[in-house]
Amino acid sequence: MAWLQSIEGSAWAVWLKESPSLWGYTTLLFLHTVGLAFTVGPSVAIDMRILGVGRRIPLAPFDAFFKVIWIAFAVSAASGTVLFFSDATAKLQNPAYLVKMTLVCIAAAITIAIRRRVFRPAAVDAGPVGVSSRYMAAASILCWFGAITAGRYIAYF
Amino acid sequence: MIASWILPVCESLHFIGMAMLIGFAGILDLRLLGVARRLPVAPLQRLMPWALLGFALSLGSGVVFIAANPGQYVGPPLSLSFVAKMFFILLGCLNAFLYYVSGLKRAADGVEAGEDAPSAVKVSAAVSLVLWVTVMYWGRVLQFFGKSF
Repeated sequence: MAWLQSIEGSAWAVWLKESPSLWGYTTLLFLHTVGLAFTVGPSVAIDMRILGVGRRIPLAPFDAFFKVIWIAFAVSAASGTVLFFSDATAKLQNPAYLVKMTLVCIAAAITIAIRRRVFRPAAVDAGPVGVSSRYMAAASILCWFGAITAGRYIAYF
Repeated sequence: MIASWILPVCESLHFIGMAMLIGFAGILDLRLLGVARRLPVAPLQRLMPWALLGFALSLGSGVVFIAANPGQYVGPPLSLSFVAKMFFILLGCLNAFLYYVSGLKRAADGVEAGEDAPSAVKVSAAVSLVLWVTVMYWGRVLQFFGKSF
């Protein structure tokens, strides 16, 4: 924990937390938010299509949005990592933060699993989406929205 | 005074609504700009009520923030980042409204799988993406001046 404390107390971390400049904390939070929106939004749209919303739209072309999802996820993960190290010891003791990280990991794993299973070239649009894929899509929506909710609760603990 | 559980619940709904707006309107904009070109546009546009639902969630929860803590938004002094955010929300709504009434939406309905959208439609889609991301920026600035996250 000492190394985390030394990072928190370093000049850049103090600047990040205390500078009134919009280029520090605000910009990181902004990047974190844009990344969130373009990760969760398209993921949930794909999940809802798997669950039967917009059934007439072919599913296969949605595959192209996974690129968008992972770029956005990388933006959120990178900005989130910097935000974490500026306040690591408090975050590690914050139950909402730990719940959020758990849900993000599960949601990301489900997203990978959905891509592998539902978007296999031969399987897409060949027939109705299987029941287990629907469960994964529903779980994905719950985990992403749960992660957002837990993220908002960080400030309340 | 409102119950203490209401604000975090509304904050969560505010962000979930934002994600849904970007999820549905954003993927339409990206498709019109050429991502996932194999998607036919017409059935995708029929999903826009879901984007509207997301917008309504964010709007409704946002009204609660103002009711709970008017000083942070309307002051005095009036928060400039709040004004900027509202301004860009209005522009975003105006852009969407014009898209529907100007015939651009109907033109986009004719864009089949694999086809490129007309340039006017692409401009509208790009403006939409830029405006909603700008709204997010001012929302974050607004919160920064109010309290730390």
